[in-house]
Amino acid sequence: MEEKSERIVSTGKKHGAKSFFSSWEFALAIIFIAVSAFCRAISPNYTPGNVLREMPKYLGEMFLLFPMAFILLMGDIDISVGSIVCLSATVSCFACNAGLPIPVVVLIGLLVGLLCGMLNGFILTTFVELPAMIVTLGTQIVYRGIAEIVLGSGGSISLKDTSGFNALAGKVGPFPYLFFLVILFAVAFAVVSAKTPFGRSLYAIGSNHNAAFYSGVKVQRVRFIVFSVTGAMAGLCAVFLTSTLFGANTTTGNGFEMDAIAMAVFGGISTAGGKGRLAGGIISAFIIICLRIGLGQINMNPQIILIILGILLITAVLVPNVSSKINARNTKNKVLTRK
Amino acid sequence: MKRFLSVLLSVGLAATIMGGCNGNTTPTNASGTASTSGDATSSETASGDEASSAAAAEGASAKGKTFAIVTKAAGNPYNEKEADGFKQAIEQEGGTCIVKHPEAATADAQVSVIQSLISQKVDSICIAANDENALQASLQEAMQAGIKVSCLDSKTNKDSRQVFVNQAGTKEIGQALMDAVLDISGGSGDWAILSATSQAANQNAWIEAMKTVMKDAKYSKLNLVEVAYGDDEPQKSTDQTQALLSKYPNLKVICAPTTVGISAAAKVLQDKKSKVKLTGLGLPSEMAAYIGTDADHSCPYMFLWNPVELGQLGAYTSIALVNGTITGKAGDTFEAGKMANSPYKVVDAADGGTEIILGAPFKFDPSNIGEWKSVY
Repeated sequence: MEEKSERIVSTGKKHGAKSFFSSWEFALAIIFIAVSAFCRAISPNYTPGNVLREMPKYLGEMFLLFPMAFILLMGDIDISVGSIVCLSATVSCFACNAGLPIPVVVLIGLLVGLLCGMLNGFILTTFVELPAMIVTLGTQIVYRGIAEIVLGSGGSISLKDTSGFNALAGKVGPFPYLFFLVILFAVAFAVVSAKTPFGRSLYAIGSNHNAAFYSGVKVQRVRFIVFSVTGAMAGLCAVFLTSTLFGANTTTGNGFEMDAIAMAVFGGISTAGGKGRLAGGIISAFIIICLRIGLGQINMNPQIILIILGILLITAVLVPNVSSKINARNTKNKVLTRK
Repeated sequence: MKRFLSVLLSVGLAATIMGGCNGNTTPTNASGTASTSGDATSSETASGDEASSAAAAEGASAKGKTFAIVTKAAGNPYNEKEADGFKQAIEQEGGTCIVKHPEAATADAQVSVIQSLISQKVDSICIAANDENALQASLQEAMQAGIKVSCLDSKTNKDSRQVFVNQAGTKEIGQALMDAVLDISGGSGDWAILSATSQAANQNAWIEAMKTVMKDAKYSKLNLVEVAYGDDEPQKSTDQTQALLSKYPNLKVICAPTTVGISAAAKVLQDKKSKVKLTGLGLPSEMAAYIGTDADHSCPYMFLWNPVELGQLGAYTSIALVNGTITGKAGDTFEAGKMANSPYKVVDAADGGTEIILGAPFKFDPSNIGEWKSVY
């Protein structure tokens, strides 16, 4: 199994120390160390305590990164996750204000997310000819629309009793619960993508879904599961977001889908499918988070921070392409000179 | 297997770096304690300052302190004027000012900004909130960290702030608008109000305030013929203005306390070369073409708040909070530099918290409209 999937995935790369040190993930780890050192140098307040305290705000988005990486690996895309976060957060707030105990509220939040994800999956697997971009653009508008109707004219709801969600935002020492949960999910998703037949079938679908189908991969079933899980993870993100915002409004979750896609792409996961590893996405998420916190602490204009992140993203996509082109040209030249 | 190993390794790497940072804590902590001890000394000197300044006058010194203002979004000219005023006042008093714009005009983005300011150990945060309730957790965390929190322009709920710097006292607006109607009409005659929607809370409060002011004998010759509702839609406001003109031939003044209504009405009146004059609350940029005292212009003058002064008051409020001159309780008073209405007083707000009211709205007339039309 591994032999076969390996052939599809990494286009003939060999195992070994050399490939590890030349891998994109290794480069990212170096960048991460450099970014941490850089931030420490520019801001005296960039201490572990402060970074961990500022981090929960950003960590929640990583719940979206994991399943988004899966979706991108399949060559699909889901741009409705931000809206699912909004709807799920809204419904959780209403449930909490109705006096339900916090475990039930959390469950409702997850369930709303799951249902939204299942609807995405249902539409995409029933009408397979529809592009995921367009379908999820539609559901993005629908989910946010429903949230806006539920929120009513004020466009915002706040928790009456914040104690339950406050408990969710608790910490073990300096580490928020969220941090452990993110690590847990990171390991789980990484293992699934790298070690299980299900994970390998994602790569197979992304490389060539027809070939995968004729090799016996249940393409549509895998897609349905991944989109449903994405919804549930968006629900989880919403629950933790609510624990920092104590409420929801019509702008909740705006742009989260793009953040998740950016983290994944920066991590070397191709939007065309079949290429990349979750580990890259995870390291790149921490690079982006640390850079945002560090530059924020020296009060850099947020628009400039966004521009820097944008340039980094384009560079990250460009570097592998350019280097492979240069490699290709070099071999071509060699061939020519030999003639 | 190798792949799994590399994943583990990467996670491990991240962990080591975390750990590495933790390892660094010893020196950092040392610097941390150094800085806190520095803080301690600075607060000592500050209390010394306070004592001496209290002895000298009530003037508040801001030396050695850092004051932050958080806007609603970057590129909002109205907010930027507020930040300018805030910065001016803080720097005049010798303090350090941080102007922070969130990445987007959302409460979510403001949370990151507040968290970053807590890390920077600023002395105060003055914020124009994008959502009343969503900032509660982070602002309370800031207050627990000893940071003084106030808001200006757009308030947070009462639990997330110590005091709100309010640009618009309802009473003050009612008074200014009634005086304008009295002045423009020449002291007597028919006038009408063009409002937004019939449920708009701020509109109704201002109209109520105007009616209360009108009970005074000075205004007895004024006759309010109708309150029309243009629903803050340009077309409907235009229609309502035309209806007012045809229904009341003796109409002298229209007062539109809404930016949409006033600009729609201004266009109708000016295009028709009507003798009816206009005042109200409007945006200088939209109204510049209509403001003038001659027959060619429909609006002699109008009002809105002055964002620069609002920012300045926010600054003096922050300084007073940091120096302990006020705590945000109703009844506290403080000096606000050379500002017109200084000293200011903290009063109870309608939401159960407290507020400081800037004063009467700012008047825009032909003499200053040219300068303000490019601002907001």
